Amino acid sequence: MSLAVDGLVKRFGAIQALNGLHFEVPEAHVFGFLGSNGAGKTTTMRIALGVLRADGGRITWRGRDHRGLPRQFWGYLPEERGLYPKMTVLEQLVFFAGLQGVPRDVAIREARSWLARFRVPEFAGRKAEELSKGNQQKVQFLAAVMHDPQVMLMDEPFTGLDPVNIVLLREAILELRDRGKTIVLSTHQMETVEAMCESVAIVDRGQTIVTGPLSEVKRSTGRRMVLLATRGDHSLAWLAQVPGARLLRPGMERSEIEIEPEVEPESVLAAALAAGARVTHFEVADPSLEQVFIEHVGHPADIEPGTEASAGTPSGTPSGGRQIAPAGIASAPDGEAVA
Amino acid sequence: MSTARAPEPELQGERGFVANSWLVAKREFRERVRSKLFAVSTLFLAFLAVTVALMPILIRAVGRDSTTSIAVASSEADLTNSSIAILETFLNPTKQKPPPYTFVAASPSDDLAGAVYDGRYAGALVATRDPNGKLLFQMLTGESLGTDKVTQVQIGVLAIGVLDYIKHNPTGLAGSAVPDFIAQQVGASAAGGGAGTVDPGEFAGRRIVGVVSVVLIFITVVIYGMWVAAGVVAEKSSRVMELLISAATPEQLVIGKVAGMGLAGLLQYAFILVPALSALLLQDKLSALILGPGNGVPVSLAALTPGLLAAYGAFWVLGFILYALVYAAAGSLVSRAEDLQVLALPLSMVAIAGYGTAVLALGGGIGPLVRFASFVPFWSPFVMLTRLTVGRVEPWELVLSLGLLVAAIPIVAVIAVRVYSAGVLLYGQRPGARQIVGAILNPPA
Repeated sequence: MSLAVDGLVKRFGAIQALNGLHFEVPEAHVFGFLGSNGAGKTTTMRIALGVLRADGGRITWRGRDHRGLPRQFWGYLPEERGLYPKMTVLEQLVFFAGLQGVPRDVAIREARSWLARFRVPEFAGRKAEELSKGNQQKVQFLAAVMHDPQVMLMDEPFTGLDPVNIVLLREAILELRDRGKTIVLSTHQMETVEAMCESVAIVDRGQTIVTGPLSEVKRSTGRRMVLLATRGDHSLAWLAQVPGARLLRPGMERSEIEIEPEVEPESVLAAALAAGARVTHFEVADPSLEQVFIEHVGHPADIEPGTEASAGTPSGTPSGGRQIAPAGIASAPDGEAVA
Repeated sequence: MSTARAPEPELQGERGFVANSWLVAKREFRERVRSKLFAVSTLFLAFLAVTVALMPILIRAVGRDSTTSIAVASSEADLTNSSIAILETFLNPTKQKPPPYTFVAASPSDDLAGAVYDGRYAGALVATRDPNGKLLFQMLTGESLGTDKVTQVQIGVLAIGVLDYIKHNPTGLAGSAVPDFIAQQVGASAAGGGAGTVDPGEFAGRRIVGVVSVVLIFITVVIYGMWVAAGVVAEKSSRVMELLISAATPEQLVIGKVAGMGLAGLLQYAFILVPALSALLLQDKLSALILGPGNGVPVSLAALTPGLLAAYGAFWVLGFILYALVYAAAGSLVSRAEDLQVLALPLSMVAIAGYGTAVLALGGGIGPLVRFASFVPFWSPFVMLTRLTVGRVEPWELVLSLGLLVAAIPIVAVIAVRVYSAGVLLYGQRPGARQIVGAILNPPA
């Protein structure tokens, strides 16, 4: 019972946008769809929406091919944001909901209720061009969800929002999930994914690098973290004596040490004690999603891979697309579309 | 949001094609009609149309102090002189200075046609007598001689005929007092086709109608076509397109846009035509008011038959749809309004070619090229309309022309929608011909 993307292939001329992309999104989950620009996220979403046709592979919902699903099944918040500048917020929301089959009176009621919930009821009569970027973004979010879609594809929903609005939007998304909606989030913001997503897929150059429940994906590199706090000596010079351990992020309060899979965390503690360090905190943890992403893809998600230099340390893709569990939807380089 | 609706929307059917197209059309119509540009362009075009409609009065007002020079010739010196005297009496009111007409005696052997063609005379009246004694007047008219003046001369000729009849038949009763009067436009005699079969008075009237309708259809097709293209570009540049393409199909978006803009264009059209037609209908009274009594201009709307109006409506609607589809596709290929200008020129060249052919036909030259062009879908709205106005068209020709136009629309629509659905996903790059052809043959979705 889920949204499944299976072996999706899409080519634009010389560019291989998708190359066997796969993942599965459990129903009523928030799914994190992670990849740099050009990884294939937007292309995957466009294929799901029926705007593009895949060259191979398929997308199914509860086993049913997506091409048989009506348009209103999907809610889509595109990465490229835009509204009709001269139309009032209420008019546009009613218009977009109308295209999805929502009767006018219902749409007006829904729009007002959503605006009130976003604490901006006064926006109803304002033209889109009078709103700030962040507020326009909230309106676009509403345009995507007004018709109560079953699955929502959201491309970078949080970029450009201030912290207050990020919280509002997060709450709204989680509430939609609680009402049984399936949400696919594409984002660069790893901490958001860690906070909201039950499962994720990391994609790169049209391929799934790793996918599954968040906890398993975080362990997919095999590496672990040791969080260590010591009194007095913060240089942790003794760490050089522990093979396979690397000081990732030194800190006054707490230092983050990354250890290779074969290294036992206790050996770090033992080395510290042997060196006479006064340990006040010792904790074994999973690496952050950001570290996992870099480990797999070779660079942070918000850095364009384009150049050879940035792609320098290629993904030590341990799993070559290992399927840990279900999830998602992906996007591709923006604007390479004509057949 | 808390007002929960039916939980299984995926089981509902797709929203209707017509319903969505209509929703898009309504939005387009509203936005267009409410815009400042719409109001300004409507006022401007209405002003232009009224000016064109009132042009005959303006020309008369400008030319009221000028004298029309007409050569009068016959084989009888007597007849020439008496004709001049009668025409002077009838056509030159004594109080008006300078007199509206001067009549110059000439010889039938002179090259009168040449003189009229050169503009030495505005017209030439040649009288001949048939063996029964009946007079025949042949009027050669130059381009500066309006139908109203030809009519005035014709009235004078009637008087000449009557007086001449009384002179030669003092007892009356034999033959006819009404002379024959044939007016012939100099230069138009070589026109061939339909022109020669229509009398010049009517031909001139039809030509005005033809010019006005071809100009109007050309301007509106290009202007409203550009509205469509600009509307698509605006949706792309504001990026609202991203939201749109997930909510409606490219077919719905293109057809809705063409319909909405077309209805807005039709509304503007009404705003332009009503004052223009009113001006035409009131021309007689207006001209009497402006130029003084007796200077009425007979209204020449006779050429606007219901059949012609229906054909005009059909060609306008079909022509607009055809061009608007192409403009919609073209608009999808650019991302910024500035880039649209680059595409606008080649697009309007197609229309200009048709327009040029139509103007050629208005000159009276219905040759093979014009005949061919009147069947070509992108040109027939201009060319067939012209042929209908000033020439002679067989019913099958009209049916074929309209049929080809109607048949072309779905073909162009399919191609336009395919280009559009590929084009709207493109940003910042202009696709080459190969990509466009690729999109037509192998649509993106």
